[in-house]
Amino acid sequence: MIKSSNKENENRDDICLEVKDVVKQYPGVTAVDHVSLQIKKGEIFSFLGSSGCGKSTLLRLIAGLESMDQGDIFIAGKCVNDLPPYERDCSTVFQSHALFPHMNVADNIAFGLVERKVAKSEINKKVEEKVALVNLGGMEDRLPEQLSGGQQQRVALARSLILEPMILLLDEPLAALDRKLRKEMQLELKRIQREVGTTFLNVTHDQKEALSVSDRIGVMNEGRFLQIGRPDEIYEAPRSVFVASFMGASNIFTGKVVGEEDDKIELETKDGRRTFALRSEDINNDEIAGFSIHPELIRIEPDKADDQQVDPEKTTIFHGKINEVFYQGDFSEFTVFLKEMDKVLIVNLNRGDIGHGRRLSEGQDVVVSWECRHNNILAA
Amino acid sequence: MRQKKIAPKILGLLSGLVVIFLWTPVIVIIIFSFSTNKFGVQWDGFTLKWYAELLRNDAVRDALMRSVFIATVTVIASSIIGTMTAYGLYKLHFKGKKFLRTSILLPIVFPAVVTGAALLVFFTRFIHIPLGLPSIIIAHIVFSSPLAVFVILGRMQRIDWAWEEAAMDLGATRKRTFFRVIGPQLMPAIAAAAMLIFPWSFDDFVVTYFVAGIGSTTLPIYVFSQLRFGATPVLNTIGTLFVVLTIAGQGAMYLMQKRG
Repeated sequence: MIKSSNKENENRDDICLEVKDVVKQYPGVTAVDHVSLQIKKGEIFSFLGSSGCGKSTLLRLIAGLESMDQGDIFIAGKCVNDLPPYERDCSTVFQSHALFPHMNVADNIAFGLVERKVAKSEINKKVEEKVALVNLGGMEDRLPEQLSGGQQQRVALARSLILEPMILLLDEPLAALDRKLRKEMQLELKRIQREVGTTFLNVTHDQKEALSVSDRIGVMNEGRFLQIGRPDEIYEAPRSVFVASFMGASNIFTGKVVGEEDDKIELETKDGRRTFALRSEDINNDEIAGFSIHPELIRIEPDKADDQQVDPEKTTIFHGKINEVFYQGDFSEFTVFLKEMDKVLIVNLNRGDIGHGRRLSEGQDVVVSWECRHNNILAA
Repeated sequence: MRQKKIAPKILGLLSGLVVIFLWTPVIVIIIFSFSTNKFGVQWDGFTLKWYAELLRNDAVRDALMRSVFIATVTVIASSIIGTMTAYGLYKLHFKGKKFLRTSILLPIVFPAVVTGAALLVFFTRFIHIPLGLPSIIIAHIVFSSPLAVFVILGRMQRIDWAWEEAAMDLGATRKRTFFRVIGPQLMPAIAAAAMLIFPWSFDDFVVTYFVAGIGSTTLPIYVFSQLRFGATPVLNTIGTLFVVLTIAGQGAMYLMQKRG
């Protein structure tokens, strides 16, 4: 699934976490299925997938909270297979925060240092430092139950970061927060990471969160990574049908390659419609199973009798009829029934692009079009 | 209209009667423990001399000290056993767990006479434990620990076990995790169990009577033996002592649970 890099040995020192061929099975399910992965020092890496895809299990294997059936895990080049959680150079922020309810903020943050028998004065200094880092000044004496969800989150972060771990593992830490707070904490998470420089491994099921906080994302399904890449790569160029639909490229056409010229390939859908797409270096022609197009890249025009001529090598064009309009505020989502191929296309138009005077309403005949270079080819 | 008003009145009357029957004997004992009447059955004037006599009476003092000692040891042992058992029953997965969990209830629901007789046979015929303090304490632990198990199990269901993982993740060993995180969380339940068990052990007559042997008179057994000589005012003071201790225990337990 994942191409192993040839530079593997040159940049050994840059690798913070290495997972090699790890397998974890539960009765009846393979939660983690021969996964290999390298995470570089100082990056924010997100495991993205729906619930039950194995992302949390993989994180717990790395933390040492579960034992694996096969494979090796290295943290900073050191094999941690047989180490208990408290001897691994990593720290976990749990979804429920798991703050100790009988300890105040300062004692919670100091917990790990007390276990390491650090001198009292040193502990106080570091606690003060971390309290400042997560903006909790003045809250040191409060109990967790007296804090808001976001503040509890900050305490959990500080409690882990005070140990200066090689890698911080975040197990859906923002999932329990409401939408506005989540947005705020995403920014905060990124700021804190840039400030301390620690490698963050974030587990999430929220595509938007993964896209906005991560340096790299690994999309998981059924215990495997389907694609690993930068947020823009994952969003704009998903390589498989699953990743495309998971990342919101809701319009997926199945088809195959019928021709090639220069940097373009010609595709034919199963209904016999032809269009062009840019050639991809990653996917061979015979692996191509179709293509996807994001709803926000599509234009809608009222269907006029005098069909305007377009260059089929540059523009993909279909005739359709507006099925329904879902008003979303900043944009509107249109479902357009494509006459030529018995398929419903989803189109998002920003408020500013819907245009004056020519309102698009349900039942109206329209022409939908987009540039061929936006057609994103997919492997099976 | 009138009929509607009768039902609540009858119910109120019945409830009132129940409360009166529950409390009157207790209150009478407490009042007469301060009465100068030497049979302790009518009010002749206020005195503390029966309490003084209680303190002078060596047999009573011995029995009281013995009962307190037994109850204290029982509470400590039952709390430890109860915590360990509850932890195991909650955290471990093994075959027959459900059966074990249910069977632990038996000493609570068995008639005390059966438990007492069974223990007596067991101590004298099988493992030859001398009757006296050791046998009494073991017997008390037998019927008290299950109570501790269930009180503490109830609390465990409300614990976020991510706390345990978080503590270990932050560098605490299993033992340190228990003492710094899980133990403090269980404390209200352990204390509540202790408050429940102390009066239970202190009051127990039936089981103790079977396994006490000779010379190990506990307070309840002493009271029973004194009845042969008729009710004396000293018995009233002992009764008052029981009531006060029990209510104090229950009150403390209530407060602990409310706080936990």
